[in-house]
Amino acid sequence: MKQMHLDDAAAVAKAKGGDEEAFRVLVDRHSRSIYRLAYRMTGRAEDAEDVVQDTFVRAYRQLSRFEERSNFATWLYRVGFNCAIDYMRSRPRREAAEAPDVLERRPEADRGPSLDDLVFAGEIGACIETALGSLSPQERAAFLMRHFHEYSIEEICAALDLKSNAAKHSIFRAVRKMRLALRPLMDTRLVKT
Amino acid sequence: MHTHPSDDDLILHAYGDCRPEVARGIDDHLEQCAQCTAVWTELRQTLQLVDAADVPEPDAGFERIVWARVQQELFAPRPARWSARQWLPIAGLAAAALVAMAVVTTHVDRQSASAATIARTGVDARGPERVLLTALDGHLEQAELLLVELLNAPDAPDRIELAFERASAEDLLSSGRLYRVTAHHQGDLRLARVLEDIEPVLVDLARSPDQVDRRSLQSLQSRIEDQALLFKVRTAVHEVRERQQDLITVSEGPL
Repeated sequence: MKQMHLDDAAAVAKAKGGDEEAFRVLVDRHSRSIYRLAYRMTGRAEDAEDVVQDTFVRAYRQLSRFEERSNFATWLYRVGFNCAIDYMRSRPRREAAEAPDVLERRPEADRGPSLDDLVFAGEIGACIETALGSLSPQERAAFLMRHFHEYSIEEICAALDLKSNAAKHSIFRAVRKMRLALRPLMDTRLVKT
Repeated sequence: MHTHPSDDDLILHAYGDCRPEVARGIDDHLEQCAQCTAVWTELRQTLQLVDAADVPEPDAGFERIVWARVQQELFAPRPARWSARQWLPIAGLAAAALVAMAVVTTHVDRQSASAATIARTGVDARGPERVLLTALDGHLEQAELLLVELLNAPDAPDRIELAFERASAEDLLSSGRLYRVTAHHQGDLRLARVLEDIEPVLVDLARSPDQVDRRSLQSLQSRIEDQALLFKVRTAVHEVRERQQDLITVSEGPL
């Protein structure tokens, strides 16, 4: 099927009127970025895929609340974070590491670094996942919003319905745990170099 | 700033969340205090390391799968159910025709291609395909059983127990995703497509409670019937078995 060429604003306007293909344009355009957000939140590919689905379903149902002058991607991120929080709260915490198929999914072009680098990157990922796993969904969302998506404290407060101090303390706790979790790796790296 | 900034102050500073006069005070202090500078450096390096954590990219058909799942949830019509009496004979005939076509074409094509490969290299390079087919055989058979059980679930007036089916769907879901990715990588798009088609139903079943009401069960049954999922899975099972047989024949070779 031929894809429509619409910018986000035009696609949202059509989708609000019930245009299915216009909404598909938005799904195709933003599903990977929402996946990255969801993966960082949940730490598992399967869960991330479920969160992506929940995000677009919720976004469609709440499309009438989206204000035309806002940025759709930013609004969708907020929906995504909240879906991820709800998803994590509704499921028992999982300790399992990433499924083996994740390594299979990485394209050949990404396999440039040395074995040492890959092992080190894997250790970082595992350490970060351990540290993130010890946070509540809300703390995790606040940290990821600030660190990876450069939300301001005010934006985090609005997205997560938090007071300013609560948002800051969520970030403080997350960073402290990151420092603890990553310190041994940093020492190892420094010794090697 | 005369006193040492706290760790929290440094975190806010690292993210640019301090007021300008506070930020200037921290910078001034860091120039004079080796102890705080060491903490600051370690904090910055930690935050840089966090950036190094990789997020795996989903495979090429990801957008299509997302759309199929979203479309099913938001836009799928709920037409009246076809009765098994209506669609089974059609599906049966179509299945027979498809299987017959698949058998003839795959047998001829694959036998000659494999024989040529082995003759050229002396090695059967189709080991990965054999592994995938063997795994898929069991997987699809289990999926077929699950779909049959769902279609034949007792039409109780109140709650219907689906704990076993739900657990089975969970198992199938995680393994199915792995096989789908593998099938994509091996260019086996037809099998990948079948796995994609059954995935939304497995997702919904895996996420449903152990007991569902009559309407939820009927909704699942309608989706299985409307999309001819049982037919697709059975056709795939036949194809996988034929291909396994072809591989065995080719590897044994002419005597």
